[in-house]
Amino acid sequence: MEESTRKRRELESEILEKVGEVVSAIREAKYVDHVICSLHSIAVHLFPVDSSRLTGCVDSRFRNQLLSGRISSPFERDEWWDVFYHGAAFPTLARVLIYNVALDWLACFPLSARTHVYDSFFVKGPPFEVVQAIIPALLKNGIKKDTDLNVVCSNVERILVLCLLDHNGVLQMARDFGGSCSSEKFTNKLLKPDMLVFTSMIAQLVASIPDKARLGAPAALSSDQFFKQVIIQLLAGAEERSVEICYNEEALDQSVSDGTFLFVGETFSRICRRGFADILLAEVIPRILGHIRGCLSSDVDIIDHNLFKSKTNFQFWFKMIETIKDSYAVERLSERLLHQLATEHITDIEAYWTLWILFHRTFRNQASIRSIFVDKCLLWKVFPVCCLRWILQFAVLDCPPSSDSLTKGQNTQGLIDIVQRLVGVWSKRQFVQSAAMEQQTYVTAAVGLSLEQMSKEELETTKDVMPLILQGVSCRLESPVTLVRRMASCIALVFSKVVDPKNPLYLDDSCSGETIDWEFGFNRQPKRIPASSDCVEKADDEVKSFVSELNKGISGAADGRKNNNVKGRYKKSELKLVDPDEIVDPATLNNDYSSDEDKDDDDYDDDSENSECLSDSSLQPYDLSDDDGDLKKKFSQLVDLVGALRKPDDPDSVERALDVAEKLVRASPDELQHVSGELVRTLVQVRCSDFTIEGEEDSAEGKRQQALVALLVTCPFESVAAVNKLLYSPNVDISQRILILDVMTDAAQELADAISNRPRHPQGNLISTSEQPWFLPQSKGPLGAGSWKEASETGTSLSWSYRYERNLPLKPSQIKIGKSRRWSLRSEKMQQNQLEYSKNKFPLYAAAFMLPAMQGFDKKRHGVDLLGGDFIVLGKLIYMLGVCMRCVAMHPEAMALAPALLDMLSSREVSHHVEAYVRRSVLFAASCILEALHPSFVASALVEGNAEISNGLEWIRTWALHVVESETNTECSTMALTCLRLHTEMALQASRVLESTDNTFKAKGTDVSTNLLKGEIKITYSNMGYQI
Amino acid sequence: MTDSSSHTVFHWNRDCRMDTKRPPPDPIAVLRGHRASVMDVCFHSSKPMLFTGATDGELRIWDTVQHRTVSSSWVHSAAHGIIGVATSPLIGDNKVVSQGRDGTVKCWDIEDGGLSRTPSLIIKTSSYHFCKLSLVKKPFTCLVQTEDASVEKSGFTTGEPKNLCDIEARETINAAMLDGVDGGKIHGDSVSPEGPKYVAIAGEQSSEVEIWDLNTAERLTRLPQICNGSSPSHSTKARGMCMAVQAFLPPKLQGFLNVLAGYEDGSMLWWDLRNPGVPVTSVKFHSEPVLTLSVDEPCTGGISGAADDKIVLFTLDHQTGCCLVKKEISLQHPGIAATSIRTDNKIAATAGWDHRLRIYNYRKGSPLAILKYHSATCNAVSFSTDCKLMASSSEDTTVALWELYPPRT
Repeated sequence: MEESTRKRRELESEILEKVGEVVSAIREAKYVDHVICSLHSIAVHLFPVDSSRLTGCVDSRFRNQLLSGRISSPFERDEWWDVFYHGAAFPTLARVLIYNVALDWLACFPLSARTHVYDSFFVKGPPFEVVQAIIPALLKNGIKKDTDLNVVCSNVERILVLCLLDHNGVLQMARDFGGSCSSEKFTNKLLKPDMLVFTSMIAQLVASIPDKARLGAPAALSSDQFFKQVIIQLLAGAEERSVEICYNEEALDQSVSDGTFLFVGETFSRICRRGFADILLAEVIPRILGHIRGCLSSDVDIIDHNLFKSKTNFQFWFKMIETIKDSYAVERLSERLLHQLATEHITDIEAYWTLWILFHRTFRNQASIRSIFVDKCLLWKVFPVCCLRWILQFAVLDCPPSSDSLTKGQNTQGLIDIVQRLVGVWSKRQFVQSAAMEQQTYVTAAVGLSLEQMSKEELETTKDVMPLILQGVSCRLESPVTLVRRMASCIALVFSKVVDPKNPLYLDDSCSGETIDWEFGFNRQPKRIPASSDCVEKADDEVKSFVSELNKGISGAADGRKNNNVKGRYKKSELKLVDPDEIVDPATLNNDYSSDEDKDDDDYDDDSENSECLSDSSLQPYDLSDDDGDLKKKFSQLVDLVGALRKPDDPDSVERALDVAEKLVRASPDELQHVSGELVRTLVQVRCSDFTIEGEEDSAEGKRQQALVALLVTCPFESVAAVNKLLYSPNVDISQRILILDVMTDAAQELADAISNRPRHPQGNLISTSEQPWFLPQSKGPLGAGSWKEASETGTSLSWSYRYERNLPLKPSQIKIGKSRRWSLRSEKMQQNQLEYSKNKFPLYAAAFMLPAMQGFDKKRHGVDLLGGDFIVLGKLIYMLGVCMRCVAMHPEAMALAPALLDMLSSREVSHHVEAYVRRSVLFAASCILEALHPSFVASALVEGNAEISNGLEWIRTWALHVVESETNTECSTMALTCLRLHTEMALQASRVLESTDNTFKAKGTDVSTNLLKGEIKITYSNMGYQI
Repeated sequence: MTDSSSHTVFHWNRDCRMDTKRPPPDPIAVLRGHRASVMDVCFHSSKPMLFTGATDGELRIWDTVQHRTVSSSWVHSAAHGIIGVATSPLIGDNKVVSQGRDGTVKCWDIEDGGLSRTPSLIIKTSSYHFCKLSLVKKPFTCLVQTEDASVEKSGFTTGEPKNLCDIEARETINAAMLDGVDGGKIHGDSVSPEGPKYVAIAGEQSSEVEIWDLNTAERLTRLPQICNGSSPSHSTKARGMCMAVQAFLPPKLQGFLNVLAGYEDGSMLWWDLRNPGVPVTSVKFHSEPVLTLSVDEPCTGGISGAADDKIVLFTLDHQTGCCLVKKEISLQHPGIAATSIRTDNKIAATAGWDHRLRIYNYRKGSPLAILKYHSATCNAVSFSTDCKLMASSSEDTTVALWELYPPRT
């Protein structure tokens, strides 16, 4: 030992000397051939160099020098090589090679010289030494000039590709590490715990290569390609090693500390940390699946854990996760694994075994892995439902699935625990209120799938699962979101099936099938994370349809029942076949026709002697079916209508009254305004469900609603007073309040869109003597131009300016192609004489609609608690107010009503309501206010110092900003974005108005420019990302 | 008609029988022109004429061949209107009686192109109610005497005259019929003695029935006749208003008027004028006011409709003086405003509040058809004497003409 160490030291100093010579020779070299020769002189000591290949590319003067070099024996060479690479010599030489030679000489190297006396120093050395020596060069320290840097770096990159990728340096490294445990050579260097540090350092270096590579580096060094290659090599190395270990019959557990595995694990965890778990999995999954499919397709009767354990080619996979020490990397890896498996469309069995092979050891041994599966994957993350099934099967049920469905194992305690935990989270009201919809559906699916596996007895052993489920179901059933209600009904169905399989409870028609769609219609294909610009565009699109979405959401409650309705109708048509009114002659029922006839004739003969007479057989009955569709009493008086609606014991007449109610009201008879209040009350109080057959409630509800809308439209003041009184009356329930608000919303919209025909006034010359009204554009233009007509605004109903259009004659060069057909001269005339115009009738009634409704919303009375339990009513109320606001858009009334509404919205209980539904409505209403205020109103409010308006608008802005920043509900934050945009637009318009007034004042010579402003309005600047 | 052809008809009917879902027929004509609810409808016994009276007091005469209005006259005040129109061969071919809610019954002469300007007779009954008057119905005991004086038929059921091909023939027949009523001794020129020109109506005291003479416009009697000696037990006041009357001459007891009267409480009394103090019999088939009573041609039975959901076919036994239910037909919708039995006694029709006319096999009581045309309550239904047509009138101001189970000639 002493001897060998001493010898080694001697050799080392000799080599260092030699290196020193070479280095100085290179420094002093005048020609490239000098450099080649000196490098060659050391290369021949280290590895076999085919000197003759070099002779062709050097000058004849050096040729002899090259050829005369002493060729060392292979043994000598090995010794030299060992000492050279594992000592200080190689780093020294490498630095010179990388910096000096590469900068000054390498460009002049002939190709063969480069290969043999330059690259071979790196290629033939042990890769982890090479890596250590050259990677720091990529860090660009100490080199000033950019051009130099480029030369050095590109050379280093070239060498890296050459060593690590082309010559499988990574594989070699893995092998070396594996060997390091057993071989004597490196024991001094690679002892534990140094080895751990060293391994992780090397892994770190390897993994950092793509980051350090320059922009223009070879494509092979780009992260994905490089890592792919590295992973392939590492996996090959690891598999190779595991087979080796297996044959050596070393214990599996010890082999975790094997160098190869250590290195592989370290590298993998770094790759995962860098976000390339997908690349790793893309290599891993096919391999594992290949093995599993091989096993599954083999003719083995029982597929169980032992089958897989006995296979040698699984040994590494069992330990792979264990080798990755970084728990974050493992988490990322497992998450991506599940997503990737979901896209592979594999069977549940394959997926289970994949998970089992990778995770079963760590899952048993490490609490962190258990919590990844049992906590994070079930409660915090969102996966496709198939992944959820796998997770449950693997982590909860803990047994291989029999077919493509969940299978319960022997040990049910885990399942019970999980169910308890899941239900505990699921049933919380806060979870319903604040969790994202995807999260909610996912957890619901988890609850449902695991509940399905429970038996009644198991359910009974848990103490609080049942009450929690009931609580969760009931708080979901109150939700305004259809999807949430459907979740509740699905869970209720599953629960009822567990409790009593023969008597399933269907709360909803939609889940009538045998299997429940736990995705709830969410198509959760792996989502691409959109680029930021995409994101903005998308948000913008969403924003455009937000109003309609809100409407949809609000009327969502009705959606669910639509199917129901259709079904009901279908039922009815079936029933029609058997008419209840049909009069059936008992005789025809008892006897068939022939016997009837016989009897008839006999009868007749008995009766009369005169057989010659015509028999009664001529009296054949006609079709005796009858329906009394026409018999229903027609209501022609409103008083009758009210009377009929008040008779709950006569469902028929109530139904018929509802049928005609709208028409009758729309006819607007004289007495309407006297009975309207009473009619409103009666209509609101009618209980549609009492008298309609099942499935028909919807149409009856619709008729009732239409009738109420008609009332509010035809007779607004009286009806609205009655409606508003009812809204906060303790005698109506939530559904009636919602009805009232819906009706008010519809009525406001209808009033705003009222269209009336009015004959065009004869255009007399009232003031001006010219034929043309002053507001039309001048009738200059080419000969034969048509007259100006007001053009209808296409998009919105709100137009801030008038547009006119006219027909122009064709220019001489233009040719008209095709025909234009205009028939019916008369109709054209009619159009000219009669102008259809729409007039917004709503502003007149806006105050009557809005103010009483806003008055009492925060009072808690008997049965009325909008801020508390009846949040749907509150949301609807705010929505209604928003719609009202929109309907008075650009009218002066908007200015008067906006402060009151803003006051209501900005109260804390409303704007920070726990339910997203309410917050969404508030955002909607705020947006409506922004849309409704005419910029000039805003400007004048600012000028006049109307603090209410400016404060309110400022509140909208700050609050919307706050929502954008802190809201959990995506819909809310999208709407807040819109709100901000509208605010900016409005502020911009207002400022333009202010500017123009400034100009006018200036033109007049008065100087009242900026101090004119008594209020302020802020524009959200573009650094917020919202361009005006 | 030859035998072979009737044979063919028979087969055709069989085929029809196979077709179980024969839709009910539509009216062959709809007579429009009234401006108010048409209360009563009545065919002329021999001419193709139809009389209709409406609640605005208008009496129209229609041509049932051309389906046109022949004449229109305001016979009662518009405020009160007409509730009944009646013709009968017994009061003369050229007479029509109208009853208004103004407390009068007027008798009009039919002239060329319409009614006489003034009524030939006005009876001031001073009764204001909804009970339609009834002329006397007399069984055509001898009317089967045909033109060529062939075999006289026995039995009443075959009341339908044969070989009536055209109007002229029918007129002749009717003349013969009328002759037959009086034993065929007096000829048609002297119109007066066709029969007892009586009219039965609910009286001033609405629980009473009054019989008036149409010749003299005098009240003949009241039923029950209040004489000093009679016990109050026969008072009909407890039964409520008289809602329906039908006067008829029983076949065997010529000249002695019988009256069926239906009351508000659903009961029905059979009066014999020979004993005006006490009814022959009293029955209660209905639970609601009896609204209509019809007696068949031989006067041995009839049909009654009421405000309840029943139609009752009953028999009248003149020997024993009892009235029995023959068949009770229950209805889906209550309320029968009018009934009528065709002169050949084959079918009966009811006019219902449910806007429907229902046709029954009169002999068996089985339903034959449900006719839907009217869009409001049907007020009256009536068959023509020749059994070919049926007319119905309704609150929807229309009169519909129907052709149902036409007699084969």
